[in-house]
Amino acid sequence: MNAHAADVNWNAKSAPLEEQYDDAGQQRVAATLGMWVFLATEVLFFGVLFASYTIFRMLYPDGFAAASRHTDMVLGTAETAVLLTSSCLIALGVRAVKLDQNRLAAGLLACTAGLGLAFLVMHGFEYHKEYTEHLIPGVDFVQHGPYARAVELFFCLYYCITGFHSLHVAIGVAAILVLVVRVRHGSFGSQRYTTPELVALYWHLVDIVWIFVYPLIYLVGRSG
Amino acid sequence: MSALSTSSNAKPRTMPVRHYLWVLAALLALLALSAGSSLFKLGMLNSILNFGVSIAKTLLVMAVFMHETEARSLTRIASALGFVWLAILITLSLTDFLTRVPVPPPW
Repeated sequence: MNAHAADVNWNAKSAPLEEQYDDAGQQRVAATLGMWVFLATEVLFFGVLFASYTIFRMLYPDGFAAASRHTDMVLGTAETAVLLTSSCLIALGVRAVKLDQNRLAAGLLACTAGLGLAFLVMHGFEYHKEYTEHLIPGVDFVQHGPYARAVELFFCLYYCITGFHSLHVAIGVAAILVLVVRVRHGSFGSQRYTTPELVALYWHLVDIVWIFVYPLIYLVGRSG
Repeated sequence: MSALSTSSNAKPRTMPVRHYLWVLAALLALLALSAGSSLFKLGMLNSILNFGVSIAKTLLVMAVFMHETEARSLTRIASALGFVWLAILITLSLTDFLTRVPVPPPW
């Protein structure tokens, strides 16, 4: 860290300008670009799991349909609605930061974190239900019939995908709670909103991942 | 880097609240569509519809909540990159699995 960065007042109303940038706008564009590159790696992180899912579902379509019917569609749909709403709230929160409406912004961000926590709690209920139904491969898995192996494979992918996604949600909630505290202290405003914007980008990506998880996990074979 | 330079003291542009709320309503309607349609026996159309709805929801989130419509070209390219690589990954993987022919052992 150079002397300039060490002397930065992080509560200043305008963003501290690093020496390699001409102005704050250029610094903001570079930060956003960097965040998108990070998000591209996140897409590929989940993408590998989605690719595995696609291949195994193609190989065992009936088994995956049977397995999907073990998941809780109502809870999955509610979780999706909660995440979509949270995405809207954090976008409105960033908007409020840009307009110097800090109290409103803190409230909207706190609601976003609350919805993230609600998502995690609902997912906990789901995992508990699956535990009681002996649907945890390698720990407690009891299934019989011609699709037993495919169902086991589905639930391996289910726990990997939803587990890593929940981890991302938990990280997002922690980041948003830090934002709430900093917004309440007046650390952000119309001239300094890059951090809230970047956290919001991360949260939206977590939402986008779930947008694809939802039909793959909960909606397969529901009409059968 | 001067191409990225922008006015630092310009007041940030924001969209009206109703735009966000309309998008949320559209997202929830699309969620209802995918959940409802999955209860009807439509064959392959179920998967196609669900995938289409997921893409529509993603585009809405990216365009409005992530402000991609206001982003610079370079940022748009970076935001599309991950999805492009993912599409290549899945397509190439499927070309292998879809074209495999079981070869019986000669003995």
